[in-house]
Amino acid sequence: MTLLAVTRLELRRLFVRPLGWIIGALALAELGWRFALLLQIFLLNQVRLAALPDGPGYTDLVAVRMFSSFITGSPLPFGLIELALLLVPLLTMSTLASERSAGTLPLLFSSGLSASRILLGKYLAVLIWLVLWLALALAIPVSLAHGATLDWGKLAAAAMGTLLALAVLGAIGVACSAFASHPAVAAVAALMVGLGLYCINLGAQLAGVSNGFLNWLAMSTHQETLLRGLVSSMDVIWFVLATAVALLLGIQRLASDRGRG
Amino acid sequence: MNAPKPASPPVLKLEDVSRHRAGRPAVSHLNLSLEAGQVLGLLGINGAGKSTTLAMIAGALVPDSGAVRLQGKDFLEYPELARQALGWLPESAPTWPELTLREHLEAHGRLRGLKGDNLKQARDAVVARLELKELERRLAGVLSQGQRQRLGLACALLHRPALLVLDEPANALDPVQVVALRNLLRELAAGGTAVILSTHQLGEVTAVCDRVAILHEGTLRYDAPLHADGHAALEKTFFDIAMAGRTQAA
Repeated sequence: MTLLAVTRLELRRLFVRPLGWIIGALALAELGWRFALLLQIFLLNQVRLAALPDGPGYTDLVAVRMFSSFITGSPLPFGLIELALLLVPLLTMSTLASERSAGTLPLLFSSGLSASRILLGKYLAVLIWLVLWLALALAIPVSLAHGATLDWGKLAAAAMGTLLALAVLGAIGVACSAFASHPAVAAVAALMVGLGLYCINLGAQLAGVSNGFLNWLAMSTHQETLLRGLVSSMDVIWFVLATAVALLLGIQRLASDRGRG
Repeated sequence: MNAPKPASPPVLKLEDVSRHRAGRPAVSHLNLSLEAGQVLGLLGINGAGKSTTLAMIAGALVPDSGAVRLQGKDFLEYPELARQALGWLPESAPTWPELTLREHLEAHGRLRGLKGDNLKQARDAVVARLELKELERRLAGVLSQGQRQRLGLACALLHRPALLVLDEPANALDPVQVVALRNLLRELAAGGTAVILSTHQLGEVTAVCDRVAILHEGTLRYDAPLHADGHAALEKTFFDIAMAGRTQAA
């Protein structure tokens, strides 16, 4: 299947370039640091927390907080989502923009591949990389599962929310790469779109408005619900819609490349 | 009495193909056909529309109007056909610099639908034919332009296409490699592969082509078989067409 041939090609390119490894390694090191700090805070407060009826445990205060600073409310290093907002654009910037600047994009078209297959093949490769990254990040809090009581359901909901957010950011990154003629432009555009989508409701929240279109539009609204362990089909639909819109725009742009030349 | 066998369609047929680029007509109402085993030299000065024509034949650009038919079928409607029947070496042989020569061949093979033992055999055969064995594990980013050109040619030939489209294939090749390329093209044509060769060099055309087409300002000005003593005549025709355009412009 040619879509998988594109995925395989893109995965190979991702894994032989040092950038992917550097991004992955530095992000995991930073997450390890965050984990150590969260664990230290948890251990310092363990006795007090144990006295509380239904008090938060290891899952709430350490494992889930690995994913996002949004619910930490303290000046700790970035969570996985905040890191992803910065790093996913670096990972995706070359997917199509570098093909365009190197002149290899016409070669893909001449293989009889449609724009949708090229873009989806590349997106699938990015998604595989992100899933691996998430799995490694998840292994950090799960490594203490034998000595702590993990709420697996809550952790699964948080992991699902993070995976969906990574899927949206990956789609935005690939779409921006489809629009840009240079990888750096694609990275900046994906960063700005991702950041904008994540916190577009900040103004509304500061004004005390907690519902309305802007809150619905913001990724953080849907992310937060999942991080708290609540899986709502409306939130899942939002992530699927956002991913689909980004991919469709990217496909549209790529198809016009063949038409415009 | 047996009914006459229907003639097989030409490998390539351009029907009234036109294409604008950057707001001006790059190719206008182009009609051209190519039979199996023919080697067509496509000549023209810079900006004549050669690369645009080849990109449309290769499926990298969509014509504004008209149709490009491969083995009788419009390959925009039959992308599978383009995948199997067409090999293209674009000008300057673009590559993925982070991949090795072997990885390029494997990626191109998979994109063209080859897999498993078929892919391995095709890869080994083209590496042996183009004498690329010692470059197999080298990254494309460190290859010289001539070596990249040979890699591009290997990728275009890998799946044994019925139509080979070459844009300036002799660019950056040394004289020994140019002779090897000519021999390869003759061998392919003898095996039934149709070849379109775009070049600036008349000598390249007279050495390997059996037919020549001259494009000027996006239109086909000349299309005829090449005769054995044709170099001088071709040179005169080419310059007449090229200079007539300049005289008119002046």
